[in-house]
Amino acid sequence: MPSELLKGLRLLDLTDEKGALCGKMFADLGAEVIKVEPPDGCSTRRIPPYLEDIADADHCLYSIAYHAGKKSVTANLATDDGRALVADLAAQSDFLVESHPLGYLDSIGLGYDALARKNPRLIYASITPFGDSGPGKDYNWADIISWAAGGQMYLMGEEGKPPLQMSLPQAGLHAGGEAAVAMMIAHYPRQIDGLGQRIVVNMQACIVWTLMNEQAMPFLHGSHLTRTGVFFGSADARRKMVYECKDGHISTLIAGGTTFGKSTIALIEWMRENGFGSDWMRTKDWFSWIPGIFMAMTEQDHKETDELEDTVQRFMLTMTKQEIYAQALKRRIFLAPVATVADIASDEQLKARDFWTAVPHDTIGRTLTFPGPFAKMTATPIGSTTRAPRIGEHSDEIYRGLLALTPERLNKLRAGGSI
Amino acid sequence: MSRFALEGVHVLDFAWVGVGPITTKYFADNGADVIRIESAARPDVLRIGPPWKDAMPGINRSQFFASFNTSKKGITLDLSKPKARELAKRMVPWADLIVESFTPKAMRNWGLDYENLRELRPDLIMLSTCMQGQTGPNALYPGFGQLMAALSGFYYISGYGPGSCTPPYGAYTDFIAPRFSTCALLAALDYRRRTGQGQYIDMSQYEAAMQNLAPALIDYFASGRVLGPRGNASPRYAPHGAYRCADEDGNERWIAIAVAGDEQWRAMLTALAADSTDRRFATADGRMENAGAIDEFVGSLTRLHNAQELTAKLQAAGVAAYPVENCVDIHQDDNLEAFGFWHWLEHKEMGPSPYEGLEHRMSRTPGTLRSAAPILGQDNDEVFREMLSLSADEIEQLKKENVIF
Repeated sequence: MPSELLKGLRLLDLTDEKGALCGKMFADLGAEVIKVEPPDGCSTRRIPPYLEDIADADHCLYSIAYHAGKKSVTANLATDDGRALVADLAAQSDFLVESHPLGYLDSIGLGYDALARKNPRLIYASITPFGDSGPGKDYNWADIISWAAGGQMYLMGEEGKPPLQMSLPQAGLHAGGEAAVAMMIAHYPRQIDGLGQRIVVNMQACIVWTLMNEQAMPFLHGSHLTRTGVFFGSADARRKMVYECKDGHISTLIAGGTTFGKSTIALIEWMRENGFGSDWMRTKDWFSWIPGIFMAMTEQDHKETDELEDTVQRFMLTMTKQEIYAQALKRRIFLAPVATVADIASDEQLKARDFWTAVPHDTIGRTLTFPGPFAKMTATPIGSTTRAPRIGEHSDEIYRGLLALTPERLNKLRAGGSI
Repeated sequence: MSRFALEGVHVLDFAWVGVGPITTKYFADNGADVIRIESAARPDVLRIGPPWKDAMPGINRSQFFASFNTSKKGITLDLSKPKARELAKRMVPWADLIVESFTPKAMRNWGLDYENLRELRPDLIMLSTCMQGQTGPNALYPGFGQLMAALSGFYYISGYGPGSCTPPYGAYTDFIAPRFSTCALLAALDYRRRTGQGQYIDMSQYEAAMQNLAPALIDYFASGRVLGPRGNASPRYAPHGAYRCADEDGNERWIAIAVAGDEQWRAMLTALAADSTDRRFATADGRMENAGAIDEFVGSLTRLHNAQELTAKLQAAGVAAYPVENCVDIHQDDNLEAFGFWHWLEHKEMGPSPYEGLEHRMSRTPGTLRSAAPILGQDNDEVFREMLSLSADEIEQLKKENVIF
C-alpha cells in the first residue's frame, strides 16, 4: 500500500539520470508518480551495470532502484500527438520534474508557461547542470562534470595523482533530492492560494554545498585545501582519517577538546590494554589538547600526532573491521568501518530496525532486496514500494483512465508511433 | 500572497551539528520562523569548528556553524536545568515542527520526547534525527558525518583501485540526509492540513544516506557483487576522468572530460588538434577496455592546454568537459555567479563572510538567506519577552541562575 502521506497528489517525471531520485522520493511518500518516456525507453534504462550482466531494461540496476514505485507511460515527444498527451497529463498533475536540455520542452509547447496557462496549480521543476542563465547553461553533461564543477573532485584523491569521482556517480542524486525539497516547499503556499510555480535546480551548486564550507577557506584563512588522500586538513595541519586493518580500512576521528577528548582517551586505553602506545599518551590532558585540523600545529603537536597515528595504524592492523567496530561501539570511540555493501548487508543495526525491504520482480522472476524507507513515520509509514515499471507498462491504464482515451484512439496513437 | 513560501510555519530547533540544522535551514531560508535552542553549557560543536573568521577560533566566529544556521533566531537554555526545560516546554504550543538531533536518550531524559511534548500540542510534528535511528542496538552510538560516510559505504567506493581509500571531502552524508528529512516534514505538514493529525518522524542518517547507494546494494543482495573503488573508470564513458592541463601560477590544473560514442571521440580529437591511429581506440568498446591507455593518451594531449579555454573548445564541439575547480575557482565561476549563488552576509561578530546560497531558485516565492547566523543567545531578550512574556527582571534572574545560558 502506498503511503497516505501525499495521497492524491500526482507527479509527472520527465527526468533522466539528473533527477530520477526525485520521483522515487515522491513515490515513497505516497504520491502517484508517472514516468513519461520515449517509446524505446528513457536513457536511464540503459545505464550499466546490469543485474547478472544481462543488458536489458529489466536488469538495469539504476532503473530498478530509482524507478521503483513509479508508473510508466510512453509518449513520443517528436510527434504532435505525443506532446498533446503529455500536455493533457500535465493539466491533471500537481508536480512536473524534468531534466531535458534547457529550452527543449519550451520549444515543443511543454514549457512551464504553456502548461501553467492550462494548470496554474502546476509546480514545475527543471534540473540543470549549470542553471539557466550562465555561459554553461547549454553545456554537455555527465555526472563527473558536476563533481568537478562543484569542487568535490579537486579534494578527492592523492597529491600527484588525478582528482577522483566515486564509483557510483552522485551528482544526479543530489539534484533529484534538491528538486524534491524545492517542490515540497512550493507545495506549501499552493495549499493556501492554489498557485504553482517554476523551479530551477542547479547541480553545480548542489555539489558545492557538499564541501562543508571549505568554500570560505580562501577568505577566512587565506588558503584552500588540496587533495590529501587519507588525511583531512591541509598539508601543514592535518589528521589521518583512514587506517588500514586486517581486511580493509577503518575511519576514526582523533582529536581533543570536550567532544572528542573522551573518544581519544578511550582509544588510547584500548590500545594500552593490548600493549600499544606510550606513557605520554595516557597522561596527556586530551580535553585541553586543541590543535585543530586547520590550526597551526607546533613541532610538538606534529610529533605527538605522528606518533599517535602511527601507533593507531599498527594497532588496527592486528584486527578486522568488524572486530574493531564492535569494540568501538562498546567503548564509544568515534570510529566506523570503511564498509562495503557486503558489510552493510550484514549490519545488525539495520537488521534490528527491519530496514531491508523485499520487492518482488515478476519481470525477472525474482524478489530483490531494497534499502528500506528513508524515515520511520508513526502516522503514515512510507516507502512501501513496487518494482520499477516496464517501459510503457501503464500507458493503457493512464491514457484510458486519466485522459479517457478510447481503445480505438489509443490504437491509432500506437500505430502512429506516438505511444 | 506572502513573500516567502513557508511564512507562518513555526519551528522549534533543538538540533545541532549538521543534518538537523541543515534541515531547519531549508525552513528558515524560506520564511519559516525558526528558533534555535542552544546552550553555552554544551555548545554546538560546529561553533568551534573551522573555518573561522581570520582563522581565529571563537564561539561566534565559525563559518561552519554560520553556513548551516542562516535566517534563524538563536536563544540559549541549559536544558540540564529543570527551569530551562519548563521554559522550553512553554514554547511547544507555538511550534508546528520540532526538530532535534541528539543521541536518542537525551530528549527522553529531559522529558522532552514526543510522547511528552504532544500533550502540550496534540497535532505536533516532531523529527528526531541521529546517526543510526532511535531504535536498535547501535541507536546510542554517537558520531559525525565523516564516520557515517565510511559506515554507509561511500568511503569504500572512493579510491584509485582495490586497496586504495581516498574519501570524499567532509561529512558527506550530512549533505544527503537533510533533503529526506525536509521532504518528510513538509509532507507531514500537508498530511496534518488534511487530517489534523501530527506525527513523530525517526530518521536514521544511515538509512537516508543508503538511498544514494541503492543500485549497488540491490546488486549485492541479488548477485553478491561488491562495488569497489576503480579510480575514474566508467562503464559508460571512455575517456572519463580528470586530465592534467597547463599549470597556472605554479598551481596544477585539471579538466574533467567524459566521452561517449564515436562522434564525441572524434570531436574531442579535433578540438585537441590531435589524431589517433591506435587501433585499440577505434571503437567505443575498445576505448572502454583500454581505459588506462586512453587516460594516458588524453592526458598527454591536455597537458599544454589551459583548462578554461579547453573547456570552451570541447563544449563547443559537443563534448562534456569542465575545469576541476578548487575553492578559489568556485568563487570566480561564471555559472555560479550568473545563478547568484554566493551571498556575503553581515554577521554580528564575523562581519561580512561568504555563504553558499540556495541550490535552487523559485519563480514566485523564492527563498533567500534572510540573515546571517545568530551569535550565541542573540535573540534571548526578544524571544523570552515577546513569546513567553517574561519581564526584564525575570530574564535577568534566569540569566544569573545560568538557566538562560
